[in-house]
Amino acid sequence: MEIQDAQFIGFLIALLAVGAVVLFAWHVVMRPRKRGTKKKVASPAPTVIMAPAETPTTALFSVPVPVSVPANLPTGQSAIIETHNLRRTFASRGKRGKVEAVRGIDFQVLRGEIFGLLGPNGAGKTTTMRMLCTLLIPTTGSVTIAGHSLSHQHLEIRKRIGYVSQVGGMQREATGRENLMLQAKLYGMTVAEATARVEELLTLLNLHEFADRKTSTYSGGQRRIFDLACGIVHRPELLFLDEPSTGLDPQNRAQVWEQVKKLRDQGTTIFVTTHYLEEADALCDRVAIVDHGIIVAMGTPAELKKTIGEDSITLEFADSTQAQYVSMLLEGSPLVRSHTLEERTVRLYVDHGDATLPTILDLLHQQNRPVARIALAHPTLDDVFLKLTGRTLEASEAR
Amino acid sequence: MNKTIRDIFIIGKRELLIQVRNPLWLFFGLFQPIVYLALFSPFLKGIASTPGFPQSSAIQFFAPGMLIMNVLFGAAFAGFGLIDQLRSGFIERIRVTPVKRASIALGFVLRTPVVLIIQSAILLVVAVLFFHLRVDIGGVLLLLPLLIIIGITMASLSYTIALTVKDEGTLAAITNFFTLPLFLLAGVMLPISFAPKVIQSIAHFDPFTYAVDASRALVNGAVGDHSVPVVFIIFAVLGVVTVLWFITSMREAVA
Repeated sequence: MEIQDAQFIGFLIALLAVGAVVLFAWHVVMRPRKRGTKKKVASPAPTVIMAPAETPTTALFSVPVPVSVPANLPTGQSAIIETHNLRRTFASRGKRGKVEAVRGIDFQVLRGEIFGLLGPNGAGKTTTMRMLCTLLIPTTGSVTIAGHSLSHQHLEIRKRIGYVSQVGGMQREATGRENLMLQAKLYGMTVAEATARVEELLTLLNLHEFADRKTSTYSGGQRRIFDLACGIVHRPELLFLDEPSTGLDPQNRAQVWEQVKKLRDQGTTIFVTTHYLEEADALCDRVAIVDHGIIVAMGTPAELKKTIGEDSITLEFADSTQAQYVSMLLEGSPLVRSHTLEERTVRLYVDHGDATLPTILDLLHQQNRPVARIALAHPTLDDVFLKLTGRTLEASEAR
Repeated sequence: MNKTIRDIFIIGKRELLIQVRNPLWLFFGLFQPIVYLALFSPFLKGIASTPGFPQSSAIQFFAPGMLIMNVLFGAAFAGFGLIDQLRSGFIERIRVTPVKRASIALGFVLRTPVVLIIQSAILLVVAVLFFHLRVDIGGVLLLLPLLIIIGITMASLSYTIALTVKDEGTLAAITNFFTLPLFLLAGVMLPISFAPKVIQSIAHFDPFTYAVDASRALVNGAVGDHSVPVVFIIFAVLGVVTVLWFITSMREAVA
């Protein structure tokens, strides 16, 4: 009996040892992969960020649009969000330690405007928004929302804001109406108040038709409108929308934005993140462009585009040597406000594209540098992004 | 009504509603224990006559333990529902509303006792009607609150792990890792007194051993058995600790 016991104990110890080895091996195998993916996000930051700061960007900022906010605030309007040196660092599992998702952001959002936070995936948009929504505690920095400090007045802030996340947050097994009722009750409404408000919203957003079906049966567009309804059930002063139009077809996208504009017209302040720059251009009163956790530009879309120059001329050459030559040739030319070089393509930012183009073509002809393709375009926010970061938004998305 | 308490009921009621909408849970939840009753308890009939077998018959021995088993496994998988709600963004959505984290956590916990009472009642009725289980009514009335606090303990633990790992596969692995040894050591299948001394001494550290002993005592009418107060104290303490842990992790969760 005693020998059997000893064998049994031996077996148990062996089992535990094997378990420990397996756990350790799992830990070791899993770790590099995690670190690898983190690195991709984090490490290019210094190199890319430095570039615009040294190259023409300085010139860009010394012209009309300051990075710091006060100068382009319309006077007499009060701020509903004010952040100061907002930072968020995530602990990474690798030995290197930390991933800086947001690296010191300062901005103000004014009452009654649509403020867009733009940038590629991984730029820190969602992290910033989650901090402002009381979901994530900032590592450092101070934030005031609707007159309340983010560091110790969560409850007051939560009563005043609405939040619609990227995934929405509808319970699939419940109907749209039930989802709205739950939300209304959690904001402290009585059953009668909640019923009245939900009725009102269903009418306002034209949702009666779907209201009593499980949300799992909704189309993407229907669900998105319900998400929006959920975010405004309590009539918030400030509404946060995280990528509201991602994954929607153009028609639904337009519908979402129409509702957002209506809300703004009724006095709700909207803080929205998006990586659709054309959309931001058309709909936001002011935007801030973030890249690698910092704001690289801020202002009205018109102001930002003005810093680029009136128009852009894209010249494509047969090979990159040609392009480099032309790039050097135009360096410091009075015709061109600034330019970028991407492989075989040189992009020029000029004040009057239609007038400048013939002159440029003459110049290239004299220099015997044949142009393969040519395009003249009015500037977009994507050009602003390219100008500031040295790459297009699509290129940053692809990485 | 106090808002904190109202919120607990709002969230708890919704969780129950979702559970009821999907009646398969009742079937699958009861399938395993009933299969055990039908296909395993007959095996015990031969062993029941062995000297040292604690109860008068196989079913009087096995059915009470099976009730504990049902609570252990049923509640331990509560976290799966939470992961689904995390993924749909629902948890995040209600974390932005002015609702206390404790209300969210307790709302989720509230669902478990209701479900377990229904399941346990059905199992008892099945055991009595089809397997000739004799029950002591007073004992069973005392057993139900015991099942509830065990259920709350295991569900809170499962929810806490779910909030940490946020992934069904990992949750399943961790849950099996803990529940299977706890279950086997508790002596649900065979009397623990039949086990080698080493296993018996390890079983002393398994709270479910006491739960199974107490359940047998209560169903068989030995309400005064010393295991009953012991197990109430053990699970009251464990319950408070795990619920507080769940509330804390709900507070910190970066969902």
